[in-house]
Amino acid sequence: MSRLENQKALEGCRKKLQKQRDPKRPVISLCAGSGCGAYGTDEVKDALEKEISQNGLKGKVEVKVTGCHGFCEKGPIMVIHPEGTFYSQVKAEDVPEIVDETFVKKELVERLLYKDPVSKQRVAKEADVPFYSHQYRLIFGNNGLIDPTNIDDYIAMDGYSALAAALFNMSPEEIIDTIKKSGLRGRGGGGFPTGVKWDSCRKAHEEPKYVMCNADEGDPGAYMDRSLLEGNPHSVLEGMIIGAYAIGSNEGFIYVRNEYPLAVKNIDIAIKQAEDYGLLGKNILGSGFDFKIKISRGGGAFVCGESSALMRSLAGKVGRPRAKYIHTVEKGYRDLPSTLNNVETWANVPLIINKGADFYSSIGTEKSKGTKIFSLVGKVKNTGLVEVPMGTSLRTIIYDIGGGILKNKKFKAVQTGGPSGGCVPEQLLDLPVDFEKLTQAGAMMGSGGMIVMDQDNCMVDVARYFLEFLQEESCGQCVPCREGITRLFEILTNICAGEGKDGDIELLEELANTVHNLSLCALGGTAANPVLTTLLYFKDEYLDHIYDKKCRAGVCKGLFYYEIDEEKCNGCHVCFRKCPQEAVSGEKKEPHTIDQEKCIHCTICYESCKFDAIVIK
Amino acid sequence: MVTFILNGREVKAEEGTTILQVAEANNIYIPTLCNHKALEPAGLCRLCTVELFDGRRKRFVTSCNYPVWTGMEVNTDSEEVIRHRKMLIELLLARCPNNDYVNQLAEQFEVDAPRFKLDDDDCILCGLCVRVCERIGANAIDFSGRGTEMEVATPFETLAEACVACGACDFICPTGHIKLSEITDKEIRPILSEYNAGLTGRKPVYVPYAQAVPNIPAIDRSKCAHFLTGGCKICADFCPTGAIDHSQVDEEVEIEVGAIVLATGFRPFDPTQYDDYGYAKHPNVVTSVEFERILSSSGPWHGHLVRPSDEKEPKKIAWLQCVGSRDINHCDNGYCSGVCCMYAVKEAMIAKEHAKDGLDTAIFYMDMRTFGKEFEQYYNRAQEDGVRFVRSRIHSVDPVPATDNLVLGYVNEEGEAVSEEFDMVVLSVGMEAPPGVIELA
Repeated sequence: MSRLENQKALEGCRKKLQKQRDPKRPVISLCAGSGCGAYGTDEVKDALEKEISQNGLKGKVEVKVTGCHGFCEKGPIMVIHPEGTFYSQVKAEDVPEIVDETFVKKELVERLLYKDPVSKQRVAKEADVPFYSHQYRLIFGNNGLIDPTNIDDYIAMDGYSALAAALFNMSPEEIIDTIKKSGLRGRGGGGFPTGVKWDSCRKAHEEPKYVMCNADEGDPGAYMDRSLLEGNPHSVLEGMIIGAYAIGSNEGFIYVRNEYPLAVKNIDIAIKQAEDYGLLGKNILGSGFDFKIKISRGGGAFVCGESSALMRSLAGKVGRPRAKYIHTVEKGYRDLPSTLNNVETWANVPLIINKGADFYSSIGTEKSKGTKIFSLVGKVKNTGLVEVPMGTSLRTIIYDIGGGILKNKKFKAVQTGGPSGGCVPEQLLDLPVDFEKLTQAGAMMGSGGMIVMDQDNCMVDVARYFLEFLQEESCGQCVPCREGITRLFEILTNICAGEGKDGDIELLEELANTVHNLSLCALGGTAANPVLTTLLYFKDEYLDHIYDKKCRAGVCKGLFYYEIDEEKCNGCHVCFRKCPQEAVSGEKKEPHTIDQEKCIHCTICYESCKFDAIVIK
Repeated sequence: MVTFILNGREVKAEEGTTILQVAEANNIYIPTLCNHKALEPAGLCRLCTVELFDGRRKRFVTSCNYPVWTGMEVNTDSEEVIRHRKMLIELLLARCPNNDYVNQLAEQFEVDAPRFKLDDDDCILCGLCVRVCERIGANAIDFSGRGTEMEVATPFETLAEACVACGACDFICPTGHIKLSEITDKEIRPILSEYNAGLTGRKPVYVPYAQAVPNIPAIDRSKCAHFLTGGCKICADFCPTGAIDHSQVDEEVEIEVGAIVLATGFRPFDPTQYDDYGYAKHPNVVTSVEFERILSSSGPWHGHLVRPSDEKEPKKIAWLQCVGSRDINHCDNGYCSGVCCMYAVKEAMIAKEHAKDGLDTAIFYMDMRTFGKEFEQYYNRAQEDGVRFVRSRIHSVDPVPATDNLVLGYVNEEGEAVSEEFDMVVLSVGMEAPPGVIELA
């Protein structure tokens, strides 16, 4: 394909591509996101190609290797279009049967269909799987339909039409106005109105201006930005080009962590393809607008996701934040006006331009518009990436989409917003998720991490865990963050070790308050959230640890022991066989007992008992 | 002009100034740790945090780098601000419980024993050293590591080649953590004041001597950090009149004259080659020129007679004559310098006047040469006033262990070997033709 010289050429190219694609031709969409990839997508793909050619179906059935579909729990995932047949946990051995049943016998492979855990019914179509049916996948939906390494797939699905519309039918001011009206807010966690940010940067006096994409996704367990870059890189590029045109910038950067090799690879391919098509580089689509994008690979410091630290790192310096009393839209990268938006924010831009501000602002809550992708992980049945309209309740996300708690245990809390987010308890499960509501609850939106915790999570230990992470990731410049987090962690560690003392809770609260109010950047400013929210909602657990020296969740070693409930134990002998310490004794079919002297609280018996006969004391 | 409320009072300030600057101008004290006028504010210690009400909500900002704007309300010492500052000091005290400076801070902020586990550090990571080194233009030290691992370090934790041994880091460090010997192996030398005969140091920007003509400072380019690294220029920031211009260069001026008179002058003899007198080893062995500066009211101790080693008032001083004159053993100066006898007498007389009570002065000579009108009377008066004159050549000056005193060994006129202890020894150095003159000749 040659360079597209103008808007007409782009539309011509799109028509040609759409014409080439027969909507009735079967396409097997195979997820090769990081989750499915780890489950063995490659083997499935090889088997598929072999089987297809053996059955003489080459050219008749297309295999499309796509980015993340979101339902990572059930990987590798395969969707057969146009029917939308959804197969999960597909292995290479299943492939001959799939090909045979689907294309020869025109039947379904029943056993690979998703089984609804509630109704116990098999679900044939992707759209009917509850995990998907409760979502609203505006941004993430195309991931399963396009090959991220092929720009034609994106163009055929109306890709770059928003760019053409922006370049030829809209003035930069109109674009900014549209973004403002849409109510789009920064998806990286700050929630700052994107249009306002662009406007300030456009109005900043100095030149040149820079546009950046923050793909330094560092929250443990969060991978929505990664999956977007891996699965639909052109949507991010298109957003950035539109943003650059609106702001008046000719140079952009994507700051992506080097631990995301596939994202780096796919975005690199996407940039080269867009350049070849004349959608990036000099004189884009003949409009006279120039814009180039460079990839900068980050070393993995969590703090480099903070805007001023990111820009310092981009300039080759140590990634340490600075006070932002003068905003980065005025003095950012190399002290020049810079607009930094998160991957997901950029991916929202083409949608808004194409569908209009009114459409976008009709989704969501009063102050938080559009959809948000969450990475739903932890003790939930369906882990994966979930896109829902702002304002969807936690209950919907965790129970309807997530399928509830693993092993049907009791829900305890959901940690939102990454390591410096907060833990939201059961009584707030009906909280509509948006920027304001989460902040009011003491948690935050962050970049969209959601870690679900059940009865087996000790909330003091959870706070300790996150503080340990933050202690390691604090840049160390300012006193409240460096010293304060260290001391918070120290006190929590003591409490978890059974060495908590009177006054610890008050000291935690006092110190957390200083860390929150006085830290230089948002890392320190939010670092106290895990402590403050667990103290707010789970104070009992702190009191148990400090005064009764008890960890009722059975996590903090030395603060609990296991006992066998004689009434529930049927003597199945599983714990007896699995105990590495030979601490369990008892005859088969007779209630067992645990020798407390020998027990090292390794949790193996507790996890393996199917009758809940092992109880934490 | 910006108008805002500072501690309940309306104040005006220039646009672009910080809260701290405005507070200082209004005599409002805000404590700082990592702030220094020579450096860009960094806002790292957070001690200068103040409460800001922006019309919608209250928040805490660091006054050192927060620019003022019209309509804001600032409270520099609200109850909450003070509580936060105390917590910061408590955290620093837990980090450095044995450091004097941090303990002083704790006392100032009324912080008692920290409620945290005590470490034993002496660096509060204020970053002043790092930032001043950057400003100097050397960039020999920086923060290394992250979070709790953070420390001030040289590249690869080896001695820094980039260090110019200016000592700015050591000077600015409030806690005494910085040890120059851990940063560089370059010789750390003070810049010695030529005017005070090397008894004191001077700065690279200096007025060469009191009442110099013209009486304005000059920059010593061989020592100034700017001319070594291209950075610094701190003096230019501080000069209120903007008089410092680092780009100035020497000018060569040609003038036409009828004749040239050479006033060659002389230089004092360098007595380090008299090993036995230990001038280079013992601080209390000084030259007559140095002693002249000690006696001078514009000298290092403003005319108060003390000895260099411990700045204590000496009780006994000896002058040794003919050091570098009439001597062809240690040097080639067979001549009499012609002034040393009289200046030694004068110095002994004035020293007696400056000393509070009963200074013992002894002049060890070969023969007194009182060239000039009425010089002999002055010599006689000195004898009457109790200056001892001992005809003897001193063969050795040795330190007295455990004191800074010196013992002189000599043979008196009666032919007896005597050793006598003194607090201080002055070498009456002779005069030499400077090397340039020999070249010119």
